[in-house]
Amino acid sequence: MTRSLLGLFLRAFVVLTGTALATFTLLWNAPGDPALAIAMARFDAVVPADVIDLVRAEAGLDAGFWAAFRGWVVPLISGNFGNSSVTGRPVWPDLASATSYTVPLALAGLAIGLAISIPLAVLATRHPGSWLDRFAVGIASLGAAIPAYWLGLLLILLFAVKLAWLPAMGATTPSHVILPALTLGLGVAAALTRIIRSGILEARGQPFMPALKRRGISEHALAREHVGPHAAIPVITVFGLELAFLLEGAVMVEVIFGRPGLGSFLVGAIEARDFPKVQGVVILAALLFVGINLVIDVIYRLIDPRMGTQNA
Amino acid sequence: MTLSVSGLSAVRSGRTILFPTSLEIEPGARIGLVGASGSGKSTLGHALIDTLRAQGSCVAHVPQSPDEALDPLRRMAFHWREAETALGLPHDADRQQALFRALKIETGDLRKRPWGWSRGMQQRFVIAMALIGAPNLLVMDEPTSALDPIVAARTMVLLEDYLAARDTALVLITHDLGLAAGRVTRLLVMNAGRIIEDRPTSELLAAPRTTQAASLCAHRNWLALPC
Ligand SMILES: Nc1ncnc2c1ncn2[C@@H]1O[C@H](COP(=O)(O)OP(=O)(O)OP(=O)(O)O)[C@@H](O)[C@H]1O
Ligand SMILES: [Mg+2]
Repeated sequence: MTRSLLGLFLRAFVVLTGTALATFTLLWNAPGDPALAIAMARFDAVVPADVIDLVRAEAGLDAGFWAAFRGWVVPLISGNFGNSSVTGRPVWPDLASATSYTVPLALAGLAIGLAISIPLAVLATRHPGSWLDRFAVGIASLGAAIPAYWLGLLLILLFAVKLAWLPAMGATTPSHVILPALTLGLGVAAALTRIIRSGILEARGQPFMPALKRRGISEHALAREHVGPHAAIPVITVFGLELAFLLEGAVMVEVIFGRPGLGSFLVGAIEARDFPKVQGVVILAALLFVGINLVIDVIYRLIDPRMGTQNA
Repeated sequence: MTLSVSGLSAVRSGRTILFPTSLEIEPGARIGLVGASGSGKSTLGHALIDTLRAQGSCVAHVPQSPDEALDPLRRMAFHWREAETALGLPHDADRQQALFRALKIETGDLRKRPWGWSRGMQQRFVIAMALIGAPNLLVMDEPTSALDPIVAARTMVLLEDYLAARDTALVLITHDLGLAAGRVTRLLVMNAGRIIEDRPTSELLAAPRTTQAASLCAHRNWLALPC
C-alpha cells in the first residue's frame, strides 16, 4: 500500500510538471508578440518600440525560455501564482474569486447528477428490458446527445422567460445557481445513468452471484454488499474522466448564463494575452484534477486491493 | 428422515434440459451423480436444492470452483458471517473453529480476501461454510476439479469423516469416477436430461447396463488414489 501510494504521488508529480511545461511552451510559442499585446492592453494606444522593449524586459520575456519558465515555476511551488502582466496585480486573488464561483457550480451539478442517476439506474436494473429500463436508457441517451448550450437555453426559456420562476443571468443571488447547476447536472446524470446501469448489470453477472443466492443471502444484502461494490469499480473509473467534462461543462455553462467564474476569467486572460493568468488557470485545473484522481485511486485500492499489485 | 422429491424438471430457452425426475435420499446416503458434459447434472443439482429448500429442509451447495462461491472483494470473515446470517444463526466462534479444524484450514487468515488464500484452501473454506447449518444434504458440484488429485482426495477424506458422524447425505456430482468410486454407495448416471441408471456403485461398475455408463467406466481410471 505504501509503495503504491508512493507511485501515485510520483505520477501526480509527473503530470503536474508536464502540464506546467506544456502550457508554458504553448504560450511561449504562440504567434504574435506578447510584449506588443501587453503594451496595447495596458496603454490602449499605439506604443513606440522602446516602450514595448521595456514591457518585454519587465514581463521577463527577454530572458529566454528556461529563465522565464524558472521565474514562473519556482514561486509557484510556494503557492505564488505571480502577477498579471497587464495590470501588474497578483493573479491569485482574482483566480481565487473565479474559482469560488466555478467549484460550487461544478459540485452542485455533480450532486444533481448523482441524485438523478443513481436512483434511475437502480430502478432501471430492477427489471432489465422492462419499459422503465428502456425509458431510463432512452432518456439517458437523449440527455447525452443534447448539447449543454441548447439545454441551457431551453431551461432559460421555460423557467426564466415563460414561468419567470428563476433568474437566469449573472450570479447576484444564491438562486442564480439553480438553472446553471441543473443544466450541468442533467448532462452529468445522462452520462452516469448509463455507466451505473451497466455496472450493476455486470456486477449481477459475476460468476459467484448464483451461489450466493443459493446460500440464502437476501436480495437486499446481495445488492448492498456484493452488487454495490462491484458496480462501483467501473463507475469510479469513469468518474475521474467525468470530472474533466464537469469542469469543461461548468466553464461552458458559465458562458451561457453570463456567470463570473473560471470561464470568463480564462477568456479575458487569453484576450489580453495575460500569460500568468492563463497559466494560473491551467495549473489550478491540473492541480484539482490530479488531486481528485489521487483520491479516486485511493478509494479504488480500498475497494479492491488487487489494483496496482501483481494480483490484478 | 428420508428426503424425497418428485417431478423435478427444467426448461431453458424453450428446450427441456431436465425431464421430470424423482429422487429419494436416505439420511447419510452417499450418492454419486455422473454423466457426460451437458447431460444435466448441475441442473438436477440446482433443482434438487431449490425444491428441498422450499420444502423446509436444510440443504447446502458447494459449486465447482471457489470463484463461483466467493466474492473476491469481500474478506473471508465477511463471507462466514454472511453465511451464518443467511441461515438465521448468531456468530459462533467455536463452531467455526471446529469446522476449520475438520477441514484443516485453521491457519487461514480470515482478514484476507479469497485471493489471499490458495485455491485448495478457498475450496475447503467453501465446504466448511456449507456445513455451518448442519445440513441434511450436501450437494457438491465437482467440488474438487479445481484441486490437484492429492489435495482433492485428502479433502474428500476430511469431509467424509465429518459427514459420517452427522448422518448428512451427500450428492457428489463429478466427472471423476475414480474420485466417486470409493466414496459413494449409489451411482446415478445421467444422459440428455434423464437419469438412465440408478444402482449401487459396485454393481454398476462391474456391469454397466447402458452404453453411456459403460463408456464412463471404460474411459476412467477408477483405481483408488494412494491416500
Ligand atoms: N440458461 C440456459 N439456457 C439454455 N441452455 C442451458 C442453460 N443452462 C444450461 N443449459 C443447457 O442444459 C444442459 C445441461 O446443463 P448442465 O450444466 O446441467 O450440464 P452438466 O451435466 O452439469 O455439464 P458439466 O459436466 O459440463 O458441468 C446443457 O446442454 C446446457 O447447454
Ligand atoms: Mg455442471
